[in-house]
Amino acid sequence: MDAIRTTNLVKKYGQKLAVENLSLAVRAGTMFGFLGPNGSGKSTTIGCMTGLLDATSGEIELLGQRFTADNAAIKRRIGVMPETLGLFEPLYAHEFLAFVARMFGLDEATTRLRVTELLAALELTDTSKTLSEYSTGMRKRVAFAAAVIHRPEVLFLDEPFESIDPAGVSLMKQWLRRFTEQGRTVFITSHVLETVERVCQEVAIITRPGKLVWQGDITALANDGAVVCNGQEFRALEPLFLHLTGERYADLKWL
Amino acid sequence: MNTSLIGELVKLRYKLLWAKTRSRNGRIALFLAGYLLLVMVIALLTTGGIGAGVLAVRSGKAEKIAQGVLTALFLEAVLAANILGFGMSAVFSETELRRYPLTAPDRRIARHLTGILDPFWFLFLALELGLAVGLYVLGAGSFWFGIVAVLLLFAANYLLARVVGLFIDQMMQRKGGAPVLMMLIMTLAFLPSVVAPLIKKNPAIVSAVVQRLRYTPPFGAAAAMIHPDLAGVRGLATIVAWILGLAALLVWLEKRPPQRQVAESVKIEWDSPFDRVGALFGPQMGPLVGHWLRFYARNSRTRTLYLISLPIVALLTFQLGHLWKMPHSLFVVALGMAPMATFFGTSRIAVNQFGYVGGAFRRYFLLPTDPAATLRAASYAAVTIGASVLPIGLLAWTIFVPYPFDARMLAMLLCTGLTSLFVLNALGIWVTLFNPRRGNYASNFGNDLSLGGNILLIGSGMMVFLPRLLYKFQPALVSPESWWMFLPLPVLALAFYLATLKSAGPVFVTRREKLLAIVEGRN
Repeated sequence: MDAIRTTNLVKKYGQKLAVENLSLAVRAGTMFGFLGPNGSGKSTTIGCMTGLLDATSGEIELLGQRFTADNAAIKRRIGVMPETLGLFEPLYAHEFLAFVARMFGLDEATTRLRVTELLAALELTDTSKTLSEYSTGMRKRVAFAAAVIHRPEVLFLDEPFESIDPAGVSLMKQWLRRFTEQGRTVFITSHVLETVERVCQEVAIITRPGKLVWQGDITALANDGAVVCNGQEFRALEPLFLHLTGERYADLKWL
Repeated sequence: MNTSLIGELVKLRYKLLWAKTRSRNGRIALFLAGYLLLVMVIALLTTGGIGAGVLAVRSGKAEKIAQGVLTALFLEAVLAANILGFGMSAVFSETELRRYPLTAPDRRIARHLTGILDPFWFLFLALELGLAVGLYVLGAGSFWFGIVAVLLLFAANYLLARVVGLFIDQMMQRKGGAPVLMMLIMTLAFLPSVVAPLIKKNPAIVSAVVQRLRYTPPFGAAAAMIHPDLAGVRGLATIVAWILGLAALLVWLEKRPPQRQVAESVKIEWDSPFDRVGALFGPQMGPLVGHWLRFYARNSRTRTLYLISLPIVALLTFQLGHLWKMPHSLFVVALGMAPMATFFGTSRIAVNQFGYVGGAFRRYFLLPTDPAATLRAASYAAVTIGASVLPIGLLAWTIFVPYPFDARMLAMLLCTGLTSLFVLNALGIWVTLFNPRRGNYASNFGNDLSLGGNILLIGSGMMVFLPRLLYKFQPALVSPESWWMFLPLPVLALAFYLATLKSAGPVFVTRREKLLAIVEGRN
C-alpha cells in the first residue's frame, strides 16, 4: 500500500506556479527523500500534503484515504516537523511538548511519560530556558520530538538534520530506521545528500517550479552500487542531483 | 562620531518604512495618501498651535497659556508614548547595530536618533512650533528663542518618555516591582482628591507650586518663547539641564538592564493554573485555551498593561470626575472606563492574535482539530483575562468611591464592562483576520499594531467620552434610575460575540495562507 500518493498536484500562489502536476507514490515502510534546489517547491509540497496549504488542483492520499486540510482523523496519524519548526517561543520545551501531546489526544499519564523520555533522550534537560533561548540545534530537536510524540504512521520531516550535532543526527537516524522497520513511513527533505544517500531507500528530485524530474530506488548507492539515469551511471547522489538540476558556476575575481 | 554611518541608518529607517508598502501596488497609493493625511494633520496642528498662540496673546496671559499648553502636550506625549507605544519603537536593536562598525556611543545615538524621528513625535513638534510661531507673529515672543525652545523641549520630551518607559519595564521585571508600580499610579490617581481640599483651604499653595514648576521643561520653554532676554536664556538653560539629566539617566538605565531571574533548573510543572482554567472549556478546547492563556500571561507587555489598567482607570476616573461638573460625575466617567478596564490589558494580542506567533502559526494547522478552534481558544483566553478585571474593579468601586452603596450603579458598571468585553473582543477577531501585522512578542516598547488595531484600541479609549455625550443629550440614560435599560446590553454583546466566532471560523481557514505570509514576514 502507498502511504503517500499525490496525483497531478498543482499549487499556485496567485499566477505563480509553485508545484506543477506532481504525481508521487511513496510505499509504506520506506524512508523517502524529497530533494530539490532552494525554492523548488519542496516545502510547498509538504504544506499541501499536511493540510497547511490548499492545493490548487490535484489529489492527495495519505494512508489510503483522500486527504484534505480539515481531515482531523488523518492528521492524528501523521507527524510533521515544519521547515520553520513551528515552535511557540515563550514556552518551555516540556510545556510545548505536553501541549502537542494533549492536542493529539494522548492521555495525561502517557503525555508525561513520553515528554520526560523525549527530553532526556534528546538531551533537552535544561528546563530553565524557554524555546526562544535554545540554540538552533536544540530547537530542531524539540520540533523533532513534537513530530514523533504521538507515534505517527507517516512522518514528514522538512530539513531535519541541518544544525544538529553528529551525535544527535546519529540518534535520529537510528530512531527513523526503527520507525520504518515497523512499517511506518518517513518523508524527508534535505540538502545533506550524503545523509539522504545513507538513510533513504527511494528519492524523488524536483526542479523549479515543483516539477518532478526523477524518482527511483537508491538502495544500490549505500552498497557501493550505482543508479542509472538517462543512460548514465551515478555512484553517488550528488552527481545525479547536479546532473538533473543543473550545476552553477560563477567566478568572482575580487573574492 | 561616525556621522555618515548614523546618517545611513537614519535613511534606512525611512527606506524600511517605505518598503512596508511595496508588496502591493495599491499600498503605495495608500501610503502616499496616509502621508498626505499626516502632512495635513501636521498642518492642522501647526494651525492649532498658532491659534493657541494668538489666543494667548489676545487674552493678555501669553506666558500662562503657553505654560499650560506646553505642559499638557509634554505630559500627553509621555503618556501616549508609554501607554499606546507610539514613537517608542526600537527601529534597530543593539544586536542589529553591533553588525556595523559603530562604537557604543554611536550605536546609542543611532538608536535614539532613529527613535526620535518617528512621525508620532513630529505631531507634537508641529503643535509646539505652531505655538511659538503664533506668539512671534503677534509680537509676544522671539522667533529664534521660540524655535530653539521648541527643539530643546522636543528632545527633553522624547528622553523623558524613554526614561519612563525603561523605568516601567525595569520595575515590571523586578520581583515586587509590579505592586510598587501600581502603588505609584494609584497614588497619582488619588493625589488630586487629596490636594484639592488642601488648595481650597490654602490658595497660596498654587503659586508656590507654580514657582516650582518654573524649573520644568514646558515652563522653561514658555519663558524662552515669551522673554527674549535673560529670563528666556534661563528658560533654555533649564531645558538643557533637564536634557543632560535625562540623557544621563537614560544611559544609566540602559546600562543596567534587568537581569532575568533564571533558576538553575525549573521543576517541570504538569498541572499549571493555565491548564486548569483551560480545562473548564472542555477536553477538546482545554489544551488550546490553556496554551493561549499561557501565551497572554507570558507576554511582559500584556502583563504590564493588565496590571496598570485598573490603576489608570482609577486615575482617569478621579481626574475626569473632578473635571466634569455633573451629578454622579465619577459614576458617569466610570461607565465610559469599562472598555479600558476589560480590554486594555489584552488588547495588544487580542487585535492581532497571530501576529506574535511567527512560524508557529503553521502548527495550528497541523493539529488534528478544526483550525477555527484555535481562533476561538485565543479569543476565549482574552475574554477570560479581561473578565477577571471586573470583580476587582467593582470591589474597588464599592470601597473607594465616596457614594453611598447603590446596587444599581454596580449593575450598570457590570453591564457596560461585559458589553465592552464582548464587543471589543469580537471586533478584535475581525482585525486579527483582516488587518494583522507581524510583531515582536518580546518587545516591550513601541506600537506594533496595524492601522485597524490602533483604531480599535484608540477607539476603545475614546469610549470614555460616550457617557458624557449621553449625559449632554439624554441625562436620564446615565442615571442610576435607568439601570434596567443596561441589562440587555451584555446579552446583545454576547450574541454579537458568538455570531462573530461562528462566522470568523471559516474566514480564518480561507485566509490562512495570507495570514501565514504576514505573520512569517513574507508579505
